[in-house]
Amino acid sequence: MRRRRTKRTIEDNRNKKNQVDFILLITTLMLVFIGFIMVFSSSWPDAMGHPYNDEYYFIKRQIIFGIIGFVAMVFVMNIDYRNWKKNSFIIYLLSLGTVALLFTPLGVERLGARRWISLGIIGFMPGDIVKLGSIIFFANFLANKKRSARQFKSGFIPAMMVMSVSLASIYIQRDLGTTLTLAGTMMFMYIIAGMNILFLVPIIGLVSSVAVYIFKKAASDPTSSNAFRVRRIMSFLDPFKYSLNEGYQAVQSLYALGSGGVFGLGLGKSRQKFFYIPEPYNDFIFSIIGEELGLAGSTLIIILYMILIWRGVTIAINIEDLFGKYLATGITALVTIQTIIHISVVTSTIPTTGITLPFISYGGTSLVIYMSMIGILLNLSRYAKLD
Amino acid sequence: MKSSKNPQNKRLKATLVIAFGVFILLIIRLSYLQIYKGEELKRGALNQWTRGITIKPKRGFIYDRNGKKLAISKNASTAWVNIAELKVDSKKENAEKIARILDLEEVKILEIFNKKTGHERLKQWISEDEVLDLKEANVRGIEIVDDYKRYYPYDSFASHVIGFTDIDNNGLYGIEKTYDNYLSGEKGKWIKITDAPGRQLPFDSEKVYEAEDGMSIVLTIDETVQKFAEKAVNESMANNKARNISVIAMEPKTGEILAMVNKPDYDPNHPRKAKDESTQKEWDQLDSKELQEKWFDTWRNYSINDIYEPGSTFKLITAAAALEENLISKNSNFYCNGFIKVDGETLKCSRYYNPHRDLTFQQGLDVSCNIVFINTANRLGKEKFLKYLKAFGFGQKTGIDLNGEEYGLIPRSVDVIRDVNLGTMSYGHGVAVTPIQLVNAVAAITNGGDLMKPRLVKEIIDSKGNSVEKFEPEIIRKVLSKETSDTMLELMESVVNDGSGSNAYIPGYTVGGKTGTAEKVVDGRYVKGKYIGSFAAVSPTNEPKMVMLVIVDDPEGVYYGGTTAAPIAKEIIENTLKYLEISAEESKDEIGGFVQVPDVTGMKIEEAGKILTEAGLRYMTDFRVSDSNVVVIQQFPETGITLELDSIIDLVLDKKGSKVEVKMPELKGKNKEEIVNILEKMNLEYNIQGEGVCKKQSPEPGSKLTKETKIQINLE
Repeated sequence: MRRRRTKRTIEDNRNKKNQVDFILLITTLMLVFIGFIMVFSSSWPDAMGHPYNDEYYFIKRQIIFGIIGFVAMVFVMNIDYRNWKKNSFIIYLLSLGTVALLFTPLGVERLGARRWISLGIIGFMPGDIVKLGSIIFFANFLANKKRSARQFKSGFIPAMMVMSVSLASIYIQRDLGTTLTLAGTMMFMYIIAGMNILFLVPIIGLVSSVAVYIFKKAASDPTSSNAFRVRRIMSFLDPFKYSLNEGYQAVQSLYALGSGGVFGLGLGKSRQKFFYIPEPYNDFIFSIIGEELGLAGSTLIIILYMILIWRGVTIAINIEDLFGKYLATGITALVTIQTIIHISVVTSTIPTTGITLPFISYGGTSLVIYMSMIGILLNLSRYAKLD
Repeated sequence: MKSSKNPQNKRLKATLVIAFGVFILLIIRLSYLQIYKGEELKRGALNQWTRGITIKPKRGFIYDRNGKKLAISKNASTAWVNIAELKVDSKKENAEKIARILDLEEVKILEIFNKKTGHERLKQWISEDEVLDLKEANVRGIEIVDDYKRYYPYDSFASHVIGFTDIDNNGLYGIEKTYDNYLSGEKGKWIKITDAPGRQLPFDSEKVYEAEDGMSIVLTIDETVQKFAEKAVNESMANNKARNISVIAMEPKTGEILAMVNKPDYDPNHPRKAKDESTQKEWDQLDSKELQEKWFDTWRNYSINDIYEPGSTFKLITAAAALEENLISKNSNFYCNGFIKVDGETLKCSRYYNPHRDLTFQQGLDVSCNIVFINTANRLGKEKFLKYLKAFGFGQKTGIDLNGEEYGLIPRSVDVIRDVNLGTMSYGHGVAVTPIQLVNAVAAITNGGDLMKPRLVKEIIDSKGNSVEKFEPEIIRKVLSKETSDTMLELMESVVNDGSGSNAYIPGYTVGGKTGTAEKVVDGRYVKGKYIGSFAAVSPTNEPKMVMLVIVDDPEGVYYGGTTAAPIAKEIIENTLKYLEISAEESKDEIGGFVQVPDVTGMKIEEAGKILTEAGLRYMTDFRVSDSNVVVIQQFPETGITLELDSIIDLVLDKKGSKVEVKMPELKGKNKEEIVNILEKMNLEYNIQGEGVCKKQSPEPGSKLTKETKIQINLE
């Protein structure tokens, strides 16, 4: 029966196949272009120096990946999303497999964390791939559960297990920011799929008690591996007191925003990018946006994200197929949560954790994956009944 | 809408609302940071972006009253390194280069180069050659900053008055300290916007706030009088090996100090170096605390920082007070039987073994009879005596423009003065004064009775030479009447003409004075065998141009003030009066005859000597003449003045060159010692740089030398 129904839906949708969501496409491209400009502006002081010695080093690569991402987006846009459903398990396994590669000689350790796979001239970050793999697999998982997703034994427990696998694969890369992003994304997918809201109570209780336990243990033992997180949280409460160590990045980011004022210092005129903020094209690119383009520019960019999210949610709402709905939800939730975390860190609204800004921050894997995800969303938009 | 029935869609809509809510909160947060907190954060950011390099103002000069430069600021450069600008891969090579140019250790330079960031001083006050070499080497990150070096052209001259500065041109002692605010000027700033390691950013033009040069101080000190005083003190010190000799010369009418000498002194160009090698060796043995004490000792200005027991010079105060109160006249009769009993203690006259018997007050001062003054003080009474002590400014600061002035010790009130105290105080025992207090009191006694504020600074001028502030004579109070002052001048002249001050007698000039000798007080006790001899002087007595106090502390051999101090005063007064072109009057003494001083300036010394000898005069030169062709450039006294036969004319010779053509010798290949020898013998001024043997000399050998020629020797 399941098969028959699916078949009919496909036929229905085929009949009503629409144009892709133009607003979503334009918004995405605008964000990517803004990314090019801001990556160039914020990276050239670093790029001029040792070891790059080429002020276009980062922007060249970002543009190349932007082109690859665009091709990937157009390509994916034209692949029927149901193909992802069919292959979701294999995709999931492959994505987890890339994490395993980290622990082979291909994995590169950088700043005390293994997050990078190097294949000679090209490399990628498994973290971004796991995000996509997890969303596809979990969307399929939830779609298959249908109504039983609400139940504890047949829904909640298996869902938590899938989440645990995904999150663990990120957490072992010592990437708390991405772990939290993915956790939030999958939780939202599950909530949309009908999770009993009451289940949140034990989850929040468990997570917070574990967090408090780790925090207390690390606070009493400065040598522990989590000690730096404790210091980060302490410094978050008063970054200026710790402005020379843990609070340094937060303070520098605030300085950048503050000097931007309403209209900014002007494109290219950031001073904080001159080594005050380390790698300003990555985890703190929004600070440089705030400094160069001011409150006006940063608000405009936030509005672009809101438009993108609005389109994503609209697609999710207007698609009948559950897998498609959950897929759209996951992709939109991922963009939303990562953007919120990035801006919150930059504005010192939450403790500092390293996380990039989707579409804008420098990073090939991230850009290609995000654009591919938008490709999926665009494909989904063809099957959604948009007005 | 159909989809709203779908439970998933309900939740999707709710989460969209939540997400938008969060984004709006973030925009509010951004507005708070970028608008409300913006200024504060911007300030913090600006603070870390800007690096200010201080531009040093040129410190003002110190001039004597005639405009001679006693302290100047020479342009000097300082080498800095901006570590962030250094090329990472050639640090070692560059350190080697810089070390060679600046004559520093390579290891130390490399140590500085390997620091993370910042500006570091490599070498202060580098020579012009070093500047040129550095510019030529053109190492990125090396900066040459204009700077000023304090320089005292006359070395130790008037060092206790002028004082000195630290390496950053902050005044530490003397006028340099008290007028530091005026001298130092306003610092300028060169503001650059830099990246985190301190490199200048490619945009944002830098801002320069120019420094404002310091003002200059014109002293009341007369370089010539000071020179006379230093010369006299040095000569005396060479003879009697005194621990300390101080001279203060003052213009009584204005309170302006013409000369203030303390020996031993120091060279303000090198205030921490001992005066001579043997002392330096001694100092090298000391630990840092002892060494510091030695330094403080040499930097002390005895004239104002130390108190002493004045002894008989203080009789002038007693005399003036009693005359003013009409209790005595100069002809009042006294009787000295050698001693007097007061409060059960016996106070003796210095000639108790052969008492003075009957004598007038004037005679009492001439021979410095203690008994006369004990009686005089008794007539005055404690109250009036104390009143005059205070009126003359004892026990108070005079307000002179130097730091660390002492108060001196006088009785706090009438109640604490016992009869015996009054007795001893009358001849200057049991009180302690600073030299400046006493000389100021003598000025009041001789200038018609006004106690003046003693002053070292005549005027403050700005860097363009415009007057900023002029200091006018300041009368603190009237102490004596004109009549009393005139009588005192007569009495003082009598001391020199007929009494204990005869060593200060100068034929042709009227000199007044009073000798004093007191046992030295150390830590409140008299030290047997250590004396302070002093002499207070005024001249000319008909119209006083200067008063002076000479103090000889703990001399070897004869210690009487009349013997040790009076001749110093005499020499200074004589030279000064001649220099001030105050003509000598005909002396009452029999002398062989008079002669008008001929003009010998511009002549060769040989010729000048002949003319002076033929005219019946003697002459002195300021340095040993090795070349009979040396030319006289100045003579004291000048031509036209009439002098008695056999008087001495001081001749100033042209050290720098004679009429004989001098050619630059060949110095290449010679070492420093040889070069110094050759050039010193030729009386040339020169500048040697570096170590080793001469590689470069300017001018070339054989070229004619004139006074203006600058000789520059470079050793390698």
